[in-house]
Amino acid sequence: MNHDPFKKEHHLRTKLDEYHVEIPDFPMQSRGKRWERFINFLASPAKDPIEPLISTTAGFAVLKLAPIIGMAVISILQLFFFL
Amino acid sequence: MIERADELMIAYQKGDDEALGSIYTLLKPALYSFIYRYTRDQQLSIDIVQDSFVKLQRYKHHYQPGKGKVKSYLFQIAYRLLIDKLNRRKKWQSFMPFLAPITKEEFHHTDRLTIREAISNLPDKQRAVILLFYYHDMKHEEIAEILNIPKGTVKSRLHTAIQSLKVELEGDFNESRSL
Repeated sequence: MNHDPFKKEHHLRTKLDEYHVEIPDFPMQSRGKRWERFINFLASPAKDPIEPLISTTAGFAVLKLAPIIGMAVISILQLFFFL
Repeated sequence: MIERADELMIAYQKGDDEALGSIYTLLKPALYSFIYRYTRDQQLSIDIVQDSFVKLQRYKHHYQPGKGKVKSYLFQIAYRLLIDKLNRRKKWQSFMPFLAPITKEEFHHTDRLTIREAISNLPDKQRAVILLFYYHDMKHEEIAEILNIPKGTVKSRLHTAIQSLKVELEGDFNESRSL
């Protein structure tokens, strides 16, 4: 027989009983499931990848300078290859 | 209810396809609430419930009534699918961290820790044990079978989870004592 570890935990039991879950209405199988999941994936909110850069002034400066530095590097590489 | 589900499963194995619909009606709420309390992700919970029933249909003859309840069998299928899916998500997120979906906690933040948050904060292994034991009235043996762990581990994880929850909800406990 299993001993009930919650027997003396009245307050914890009350708190756990407060956790209700609302069951949505959905069918056993949905048609076009893969496509539907892909759409849900695309539509789900995601974190902003450049947010850490925008939040600091140094990061913001890096973000502004990165395209200029990138272009300079590409130009130098082109000079080496084509001249 | 459980005995009814077992009878329906036997009928389904014998070729009564309508029995599957009744099994779904009986077990869907329990299965959904377990996965939802574990993940707090509605879409993922719906996907796992649907995939579990697809798998139940595919492997209907693998279920042996003498070995356990159909509820445990279905929960075992769902738990395995869930762990696979969460592991796959973690891999993707380690490659592309910005793909991480925004969790609900980022939308709603309250100073007071609710039971939902306290359960979410538990380590995955402890969370599964406490949910199955408390909300689904499962015995240690059934939980051990679903999670594929020894019975002794179930007991120790349950004990640790209760202690962790008490610590997490400490403020509430002190308040209730002072009243």
